[in-house]
Amino acid sequence: MIQKQSWYPQMSSDASKERTGESVSSQLKEILDLIQKEPTHLNYWNAYKRIQRLNLKALDVPDEKKIKVALLSSFTIDPLGIYIDIKNRLVGLYPEIYIGPFNQYRQEILDKGSKLYAFKPDVVILAVQAESLLGEDFYSEFMKSSGREQYQTEIIDQFEKILSLLTSRTNALILVNNFIVPSFTPLGILDNKVDMGLKSFFYGLNQRLTDLYRESNQVYVVDLEGVASKHGKSRCLNFQMYYRGSFVFSESFLPVIADEYMGYIKALKNLSRKCIVLDLDNVLWGGIIGEDGFDGIKLGKDSPGNAYLDFQRLLLSYYNRGIILAINSRNNYEDAIKVIRDHPYMVLREKHFAATRINWQDKVQNMIELAKEINIGLDSMAFVDDNPREREQIKQALPQVLVVDMPASPFLYRQALEDLNDFNVLALTEEDKMRGEMYYARRMRKHLEESMVSVEDFLRSLEMTVVIKHADEFSLPRVTSLVNKTNQFNLTTRRYTDVEIRKMKENRDEFNIYSLQVIDKFGDEGIVGVAIVMKEPQTWILDSFLMSCRVIGRKVETAFLAKIVEDARKSGVSTIVGEYIPTQKNAPVKNFYSNHGFEEFQQKGDLSKWRLDLTLSTVKMPEWLEVKDG
Amino acid sequence: MGSPTEKKLEEIVAKVLLVDKANINDKMSRKDMEEWDSMAHLMLVSEIESAFGIVMSDDDIMEIETLSDLKKILKKLGVAI
Repeated sequence: MIQKQSWYPQMSSDASKERTGESVSSQLKEILDLIQKEPTHLNYWNAYKRIQRLNLKALDVPDEKKIKVALLSSFTIDPLGIYIDIKNRLVGLYPEIYIGPFNQYRQEILDKGSKLYAFKPDVVILAVQAESLLGEDFYSEFMKSSGREQYQTEIIDQFEKILSLLTSRTNALILVNNFIVPSFTPLGILDNKVDMGLKSFFYGLNQRLTDLYRESNQVYVVDLEGVASKHGKSRCLNFQMYYRGSFVFSESFLPVIADEYMGYIKALKNLSRKCIVLDLDNVLWGGIIGEDGFDGIKLGKDSPGNAYLDFQRLLLSYYNRGIILAINSRNNYEDAIKVIRDHPYMVLREKHFAATRINWQDKVQNMIELAKEINIGLDSMAFVDDNPREREQIKQALPQVLVVDMPASPFLYRQALEDLNDFNVLALTEEDKMRGEMYYARRMRKHLEESMVSVEDFLRSLEMTVVIKHADEFSLPRVTSLVNKTNQFNLTTRRYTDVEIRKMKENRDEFNIYSLQVIDKFGDEGIVGVAIVMKEPQTWILDSFLMSCRVIGRKVETAFLAKIVEDARKSGVSTIVGEYIPTQKNAPVKNFYSNHGFEEFQQKGDLSKWRLDLTLSTVKMPEWLEVKDG
Repeated sequence: MGSPTEKKLEEIVAKVLLVDKANINDKMSRKDMEEWDSMAHLMLVSEIESAFGIVMSDDDIMEIETLSDLKKILKKLGVAI
């Protein structure tokens, strides 16, 4: 037996460890570049095997970039592991993959001491083939079977039992496939003329599975049936590999289904895009406004104008779901804005855009400015431009931006954007749906600010109200999303999963979770702040205190803190302790506690603790705010 | 260096079994190579089948112990190697 040797010589000093890390990281990059250029099945296999040989432990990976994915299945799922591994790496994550033993998903879930639980997964993918649940004779005996609905119930119950066990034992995100509805039925054209045909049996099963987990924050039903239909069910299975080795997903289907899972993983790891930045000419309409003129551009009911119209409708549907839209276009402002305002077939109007850059400036510079104005990271932006040169320039200058590979023909625009799985969130909040309007209100607010002389005048003129409440069922998704997304105005940057937050919320003796909502005369910003307080008999500890950057500069943080201090005082607490952990991004809150009269009393590693003695001092409520506590 | 067919085969073997093309030889065998496990074996077969448009029988697949065995079977199936 040959022992596997480490690829690298033993080194002891930190410097050499760092060098090893750099070398591993550059080899990793080389492998990934190659797979991106030529993503064949053979190359995926090869890339995966080569990566596994690297000394990956030498890499210094921040926690938020790590992810552990467990795959449980009734069939040979190893090849999917390869794709999940590589696709995670291609979006900058560092995955660890656990593959459960062949067809032992039940045992793995039932046995508390299984390797699955020891692995401590962040994501569990449960891929169970219908055949393994239905029994070997299901198809052949289907015609003779009775009580089909009862049988569905039994299968759903089986699922529910093992999944409820799984959810009670792990906080991982659980992705469970629904079932591929078979294309063949012995009933042929009469399948939907009988009480419950074979296809109806599966459609029903899928519907019941969906219903079962609609409200779940932990279990997501992955629409394998839909993904397989899109790919073509006849191409999803490679019969040779299926019968020889129980491989259920064909080579061509593996990347497709892996991408579907990645949609969830990207949402979980905050890698989703929040904003689509659009070019105008030959993107929102056909032709060039500066040359073809208002009446010459193509946008309307005839081809190809109808393709642009449809593309705009897709963008509007995204806008209504909370995706921010912006413009980055080389044009005369007056020409372009006239189309947006007055063209009878424009679907997107000025109010739909959170920010616009219509000028002759460099598009890279425009992107940077847009990110700043909208106040999101470049890594939250996607860029849509018909010109390959512009795209290449953005790709090179701003690699964080997702540059969409737009097809040459406008007929294919819609599909290209629909195919991206980069705009997902794990929960949709009311704020998401209103986001577009909020950005428009903010632009109006900014106009007002520029016309005011003093900050106080401006703040007063906003007629602000803050609503501070204990987190409830309603606000919880938004609270979780803020806890996990907020970087700048965040005192400790502690991330908690939905399940963890839920547990704290339910434990009212030990925790208070506050949400902060801000409303002013331009509109409702929704919930923009969260505080998590750990309650001890004499002391309240501010475990987390954070606020969306879009309300920075309006002193609402002071109101938020003042309300918590007031509550503490009412419960007879004498001391409030604020915790602060500096990060690369949270410089804006460096002096937060000292500015509010807290004194530092402890420093341990990165964590510093600040104290406010409530018998001696307090935090004053700003006078230009009205505070409501729900 | 051989025909395009041979080059294709070489590429598949190199990529599936993680060996340098220069080190590929007919004597390479499953029992001596850690990388040539059952999963890699199926991968090898499936890639070769789709590259050359053939289907090997399960007996053939079981019998392949070395690269030279594999080539023999390809010849039998009419692949010019």
